[in-house]
Amino acid sequence: MADNDGSGRIEIQNVTKRFGSLLAVDDVSLEIPHGSYCCLLGPSGCGKTTILRMIAGHETPTSGAITIGGQDVGGLPPVRRGTALMFQSYALFPHLTVRDNVAFNLKMRGVAKEERASRADEMLALVHMTPFADRMPAQLSGGQQQRVALARALITNPRVLLLDEPLSALDEFLRLKMRSELKRLQADLGITFIHVTHTQPEAIALADLVVVMNQGIIEQAASARDVYAFPRSPYVARFMAGHNVLHGRLLASVAETHLLEGPTGARYRIPATAGTPRRTGEQVFFSVRRDLIRLTREETGGEAVENALQGTVEAVEYQGTYVKVTLAGASDEEFIVNEPEHAYFTHPVHRGDTVVASWGVEDVHLLEEDRAAGTKAAPYGEEAA
Amino acid sequence: MQRLAPYLQVAPLTLILGVFLVVPVTMIVLVSFWSYDEFDIYPDLILDNYQWILTSPVTWSLYLKTLYYALVTWAITLLIGFTISWYLVFHVKNLIWQIGLFLLCTVPFWTSNVIRMISWIPFLGREGIFNQALMGAGLTGEPLEFLLFSDFAVILAYVHLFTLFMIVPIFNSMARIDPTLIEAAVDGGARPWQVVFEVVLPLCKTGIALGSIFVIALVMGDFVVVRTMSGGQSATVASAMMNEIALLQYPTAAAGATILLVVVTLMVAAILRVVDVRRELAG
Amino acid sequence: MRTASGRRPLSFWLLTAFFVLFVLFLYGPMTAIYILSFQGPTGGLTFPMRGVSLHWFDALFGQQRTGDFAGSLERAILLALVSMAVTLVVSVAAGLAFRQRFKGASAIFYIAIASLVMPGLFVGLGISLVFQVMGVTPRWWLSGLGAHLTWTLPFGLLIMFAVFNRFNRAYEEAAIDLGATRWKTLTAVVLPILAPGLIAVGLFGFTLSYDELARSKLTVGAKNTLPLEIEAMTTSVTTPSLFALGTVTTAVSFLIIGLALGAIVMIQKRRTRRAGEA
Repeated sequence: MADNDGSGRIEIQNVTKRFGSLLAVDDVSLEIPHGSYCCLLGPSGCGKTTILRMIAGHETPTSGAITIGGQDVGGLPPVRRGTALMFQSYALFPHLTVRDNVAFNLKMRGVAKEERASRADEMLALVHMTPFADRMPAQLSGGQQQRVALARALITNPRVLLLDEPLSALDEFLRLKMRSELKRLQADLGITFIHVTHTQPEAIALADLVVVMNQGIIEQAASARDVYAFPRSPYVARFMAGHNVLHGRLLASVAETHLLEGPTGARYRIPATAGTPRRTGEQVFFSVRRDLIRLTREETGGEAVENALQGTVEAVEYQGTYVKVTLAGASDEEFIVNEPEHAYFTHPVHRGDTVVASWGVEDVHLLEEDRAAGTKAAPYGEEAA
Repeated sequence: MQRLAPYLQVAPLTLILGVFLVVPVTMIVLVSFWSYDEFDIYPDLILDNYQWILTSPVTWSLYLKTLYYALVTWAITLLIGFTISWYLVFHVKNLIWQIGLFLLCTVPFWTSNVIRMISWIPFLGREGIFNQALMGAGLTGEPLEFLLFSDFAVILAYVHLFTLFMIVPIFNSMARIDPTLIEAAVDGGARPWQVVFEVVLPLCKTGIALGSIFVIALVMGDFVVVRTMSGGQSATVASAMMNEIALLQYPTAAAGATILLVVVTLMVAAILRVVDVRRELAG
Repeated sequence: MRTASGRRPLSFWLLTAFFVLFVLFLYGPMTAIYILSFQGPTGGLTFPMRGVSLHWFDALFGQQRTGDFAGSLERAILLALVSMAVTLVVSVAAGLAFRQRFKGASAIFYIAIASLVMPGLFVGLGISLVFQVMGVTPRWWLSGLGAHLTWTLPFGLLIMFAVFNRFNRAYEEAAIDLGATRWKTLTAVVLPILAPGLIAVGLFGFTLSYDELARSKLTVGAKNTLPLEIEAMTTSVTTPSLFALGTVTTAVSFLIIGLALGAIVMIQKRRTRRAGEA
């Protein structure tokens, strides 16, 4: 492999993928630095797995190019790309022992039996599966199968490890455990990990680079903090959860701020960003983090106060460190306030109470338009059936 | 009452198989020790029938011929069955097409074997379609004689009639292979032939075993095809037995049948030793 | 394997060619004799066709030398119908039984498998010996029927296994929960849901019996069924009448296959349409 620099840097250039009339990936470009942990995040059918499979060489782009370490990998079989794929179902060979599964690639390459076994055992040690080397896959639990799948993928010394929903088949406890182990492994090996998931806590916990996808398009590709705290569009803000998305029509500009009128008549004051001139009557979207909103128990008395919404408590969920309060009638979409535990229990609210939620101008985060068309009411975090 | 239900439900099956399978097969074994004259058979306990068969050099050549037919037919049907199943499972992605083409391969199973066998006669004869085509193309000056009434014709008919018994079980077990296993193998650096031998073949060995049992049992027990397609020139163990039955030498025929039954059972047992097919059948 | 871009690899075309050749191998000779059965009166056992006529079909019914064609066809169809009915009822009952654990289940299962693998000649010989020893004359509707059932029942049983494996018992429990009796549950819920599988059992029951030769040989007694008649003709008849017979018997088979598959497709279509309306 003389024509690549040996690194796991991936460049996706204007890649489109069609399945018949279905547009799975729509002119996507993305650069993933070498040695980074990248999560492709989005609901099912958003094209994230298709991108993963195109990098792996199990699908061919309809148009566009993919390079790994500077080398165009178009037409190369998976094994010549320096990638290894860990399948969602693990795809362990049911007729082979754990050791033979891990050693599969070595056997294909004609490595002698003893060397195969010893290198497979090394890999099994890496994933703490040494005692299970002689078992059959059917005798292992889901978490154990996953470790074997990981060892089998890593034995090829890949530059890039591709993980397709690796944690989705595990129970909550194992999921958290394997999550931190994946992160540790990636740091130790120093290779690129690309991890497909539909669960946003998983993505922000693991990734250096989070790529939020929707309908075959990248809505935002940024660090976990940027994606979570500064979502680019309403879709990202809704999908990452943690935000309330609001919108209104521009009424007037005063000093460094704009005044908006929401669909329910509410008044919003938002900061005016330098360099983005706005017209009166223009529709503006913004978000406010759930944990930056104050709840007050008195009513507003009917007068329109800026950046304050009156609503009825619809549900209260205790979450340990905070309490999640869902309001009805506050805005035209779901409105949630996360109150710190002690603040909530000082003045608890109950289902049916009328409350006011308010926030400061400085907590308003302005949003750009969604890139994918018709994504208005995409539910966050939930996988569409 | 509820506890009795399964016994009542399975009773008709048990009764029919008991009366028309277990008792008759037992009867064959019993009669193989009986004596006979040209008019009737008599209960007895003699080994003459076995002695006669086992000391006859004809028996050994019959077995040799039968095993030869069984082995060649098995190898060819296995090759075809595996290839056709491979094509249907891994190359025909559209489910409707897959079912349709699979049915196309199995429909002849529901038609007459005899007719399918004799339909080769106008094809293979001296004046047959095949020879006409060959001579028409100038490939041969004289008609090929070996086509009909020969070992070639017998094996051709066996393959024609019995390949289905190979395709169906192999297709069944192959269709159950998770396609991501193939991708995982490719991802793990397997070349196409390695995918076949390291992954697919081991994963459909139950189907192969079932098909093999069918084909071997069918060839070993056949007396129709070999007689018609060899034009009476070849005989197998079973067709020789039919001749004894025609001569009313039932105890000898029964002894021959018992020996053949033991041989077939041993072959089946050998296959079952290598591959456990129980789960496949029950599933 | 199909590459993602929709271009198919060379192996696909090679295998397609192999498949086409195999289908030709399977159907080619049969098709040839169907065509040849319409030979003109002066035509022979092979091509070329000397005109097109129904002469050889007439000959089947008319002349002595083709034996008792009409009678043997009638017997074969009757026997197949009885086999089908018995196979259906017995297989369904046995299939129901095998859903529970009961003593001797695996023994009966293995006997059924043995029956499937047992060369037909042994079954025929054994039954004829039993009848001979008991002094009963073999008859097609008694010993013949029994012999055929040893061949059709294992298929029926295996199909019922497959069918019940995919059957969700919750339907049954729901019916009983809603106050249906066990018998009502079976007839109003279980059997209608399993209908396509039952048709398949019927198809095997009919066609396997209708075409069975090896098991019939020593068990039908004095009156032949059609496959035996055909076998006898292969040595004695040297006219296209033989092919006409093949065309007739295959037409019966295809009619049954068409009816069965058509019924299954219709049931499935109606179900998906209803599901679509819901």
